[in-house]
Parts: sequence; structure tokens; C-alpha cells
Amino acid sequence: MERHSSVAETPVNSVMVQRRSGSKSFRQSYRSCVGAASHLGYTPGLTTRRLTTSRRAPRSRTVTESVNPEQLSLLVKKEWQLSYVTPLHHFRHTQLRSYSRQLLAFIVAEKQQGLAVALEGAESSLKVVFSVVEGMATTDDDADTVLIQIHSKSVFASQDDPRRLVWSGWLTCINGSPDYVRSLPKDFVCLPLLCSSGAQWLTSLVKSWLERAFDCCIGSLDINSVNLQWLAALWTNCHPESNIGQLKLMWTLPVDPPLEIAFTVHPQDAWELWSSMRGQLQEEEQENEGVGEGAGDKDSVDIDEVTRFIDGLKNHFYRHFRLDLSAGTLSQVSTALGTAKHSGRIKISSSSYMNATLMLLTECALLKMPV
Amino acid sequence: MSLLKPFSKLPGLNAANILLVENEEQLQQRLADALVEETAVTVNVRLAKTLPLPLKNEKSRPRIDLVVFIINLTSELSLQSAEASLKYLDPGYFLGKVCLLVTNARNASVPPARLDTVRKLAASLHCPLLCAEDQTPDGVTNAAERLLTILKVAAGLVPMTTALYLSNLTRCTVPSDIDQQGFD
Repeated sequence: MERHSSVAETPVNSVMVQRRSGSKSFRQSYRSCVGAASHLGYTPGLTTRRLTTSRRAPRSRTVTESVNPEQLSLLVKKEWQLSYVTPLHHFRHTQLRSYSRQLLAFIVAEKQQGLAVALEGAESSLKVVFSVVEGMATTDDDADTVLIQIHSKSVFASQDDPRRLVWSGWLTCINGSPDYVRSLPKDFVCLPLLCSSGAQWLTSLVKSWLERAFDCCIGSLDINSVNLQWLAALWTNCHPESNIGQLKLMWTLPVDPPLEIAFTVHPQDAWELWSSMRGQLQEEEQENEGVGEGAGDKDSVDIDEVTRFIDGLKNHFYRHFRLDLSAGTLSQVSTALGTAKHSGRIKISSSSYMNATLMLLTECALLKMPV
Repeated sequence: MSLLKPFSKLPGLNAANILLVENEEQLQQRLADALVEETAVTVNVRLAKTLPLPLKNEKSRPRIDLVVFIINLTSELSLQSAEASLKYLDPGYFLGKVCLLVTNARNASVPPARLDTVRKLAASLHCPLLCAEDQTPDGVTNAAERLLTILKVAAGLVPMTTALYLSNLTRCTVPSDIDQQGFD
């Protein structure tokens, strides 16, 4: 890694090193220096090479079969704030109890320092539970999902009263890039996506404890407009199997005062547009290649199809309202399967297609992480 | 088609003409104010939203030495409008008299694919790609200084240097896959 950083910081020196001897003509060697400097100056190259251009279409996954429905109900129908987490050092799935004790002690210690507290009662009113959600991992490389819950109860309640869930969060890795996961040293566990919901002060305490205990970095994860378009397309693709209710897209236009446009599409119309775009692309492929290979591609979704789908919606809007939505940014996508916001909030409303969504978010987290 | 031609008029004495094309029309005004502060050369700045330029100004317009396309990466429309305007330039401009200026490249909400598209566009046109920071006056001044360097060469005011020669040094390159594998 040092070699990379030195190359990025001192490109001028590397030009000197690369310069060839005087055996070649001046112009040739100069051109090779210029070429070498210009490509050594950019690390790590184009990001589009690392982005997937095609994904597998989501299926009504067997998530409901393999995961405990009680735990699943904790994950769906709640709005989560996303963060990326760098690989955790010395994280053991067997030591969860001691982690719960450590986290509780940390929170208690921080509270006694005089931070503003929103909870009533003494410190013993908090209880931290770490648990493993089994069955969510798709490949052998994925680590099991870890769920963290913080309960509280008031001082005056008896032992039998139910505890209120104050904060919950889960660390997960669904189908993370196998090259990356396998390249990590043995002590590291890769759980790049952290979803948290609850009081802000508890979130920051949990994050700082995780950073201290496992030597990782946690930062906020935004979902940029390309990924929101992917989600819109993948959810629309599920329409024939389970009704998506409606496809709602929200755009923000940079005018003064800022204009927010909510564009709601009837699901059947969205499905017709989507399938006609896919059919069109497959026909074009067949024309170009002359071989009927397009028929077998029903499983995978390409970035071209997604771009065309969104362009189709934008053109329709332009024809009616004379407003070009390309001037703004896509800020929210919601269907009956879930809601995703640009600020990094996600709500999964139905457990059937959860895997595809989480796969996409895991990939976002892995890309956003400082490598 | 009304193409903008680079060599159809005579140049002025110790003068350089630059055309700033921007769809949002925000940065070009501030950049123009910073560019005209140059004292050694008479800099004429012309502003446009898109190409082609209106025909009625054709006679009075001086010879344009450098065309700069300002692209705001947070808006997809900006990139599309710049790509559409590129078609109205005579091919003679692509020998060092075109420059792409990009703003908000470090913004986290910009999808990385957009900057890659602009880089590929700049590499295919053999023109330099400058990244500018437009929120502070310092950023605008720095961008203006860099544009002035290229403008002086494009207007022929720097001895022993032509626009084509400079573009060979400053052009944007995109590393190919073969080079990338050898990197590791």
C-alpha cells in the first residue's frame, strides 16, 4: 500500500524514473514519459470498472423460509439509517455476550460523563442484547448478520413488564464481493453495512464503541441517484409476482425555492414500460448478433435497461409538464416493497425481495468504504 | 449547420477571445469577471448557454480562440447539454482550442459514473479536463488563471508554443485495462 501512496503523491519523480535512455529518439521517449505520468497519476483507475453493470433479477427469496420470522419482523417495516463499516478486527460471533456487557458498560460510562440523557430512570434500566440472525447469508463467504438491540424499562416497573426497544441496529454482509472478502487477513470479519434506528445519541455511542473495540471506521452512506434507479428498476421487475402498489419517485430541482416533484406511476404502467424496454434491448441484441442469445438473459438486468426505463419516465414527464427532470437529482424511490432515500435511509416493507435490496446496499457500502 | 469556425477570421493585436458555454449560467459570469482582470493581454470573454451561437452576431463576433464547456456534475442535464453543443464546433477547434471545465467533482452525491463519462469524453476529444471549485472566490480565481494559461497559447501569444502542442501535454487520458493490470 505504501507504493500506491507514494506513486499518487509524487508523480513528478516517477516520470524521472520512467524516462528511457537516449537510445530512442527524444520525441518517442518524451511521449512515453507523458503517457506513463498521466496514467500513474490516477489511482485507482476508473470507478466504473468496479461497478456492476448487470445484476441478477431478484426472486421471491427463500429468506422467509431460512430466517426466523420473529427476527425478520424486527428488520422489516422500520426505517433504517445506513452506514458503511470497514472490516472488524477480532470480531467473534461466539463472544456476543461479552460484547453486550462491554457495550452496556460503555454506554453507562458515557452517560455518567454528563451527556444529555433522554431516558428516565437509573442506568440499570438499559439492557443490551447482541444476537445472530441466521439464514440471511447467501454465500459461504458472508459472515452472519449480527443484530444489536438496546432495551430500556423504567425504574418503577416490575420485573415482568415488557422492556421497550429503544435502539436497534444490525451489521450485515449479503453477497459481498468475494475477491475482497477472501483477500482480507484472517482476523478480520467483513460486515460492511450497518443499519441503525433509534435515538441519535445512542447511535453515536454504539458507533464509537464499535470503532474502539474492533478498530474500524464507520461513516454515513448515501445512496446516489444511480443506485436509486437500480432499486426502482429491480422493484418494478418484481411486479408480476407480487404487486408493488405504486412506483413513486421524488426529484429535487435546484431552483429557488427548491422544488420537489413526486412522480407516482401506476404499477401496471410501470411494468409495461419496463418490459417493453427490456424487450426492445433484447431485440436489438438479436439483430446485432444474429444469434438468439437474448432469450436466455431474462435473469439479469443491465444498466442500459435501467437508464432507458428512467429516461422513458423522464420523457413522459417532459411531454406533459415541460420540465426536464435531468436538471434535478433523484432523491427518493418508494414502492410497496420498500422506500429508499438519497440521504441513506431505507425501509424494507416486505421480506420477499429483501435479499436483492441488501445485496445492492452491501455493494454500495463496499464501494464507499475507504479502501 | 452553423458550425463555429476557428480560422475564418483574422486575429486581433495582443488580444485573446474566449467563449464560456454553460447550461446553468452561474459560474460563467464570475469566471468572466476574474478573466478580464488580466492586464498583459486584452481578454474578451463571450458567454453562451449552448451552441449554436445566434446568427445575427456572426459578423460582429471576433475570432474565438478557446471554447470552454463548463459542466456541473451534480446535474445530468448539464452534461447532456454540453455533449449536444459539442456537435456545433468545427473540427478545427479540437486541435487544442477546446477545454472542459468540471465543477462539483468532489461532491459525494455525484454518481462516480458521471465523472468517468466526462473523462472518456475528454479523452476521445483529446482536450484537457480541468476540475474547478466554484464556491469560493479563490477557487474561481484559480480556475481563471489556469484558463488564461491555455488561452494565451491558443491565441498564439506565447512564442514557440502552439495550441496543438500544448494539448498533447495537457490532454485527459483514460487508463486502459491492459495498463491497469500491470499496475499491481
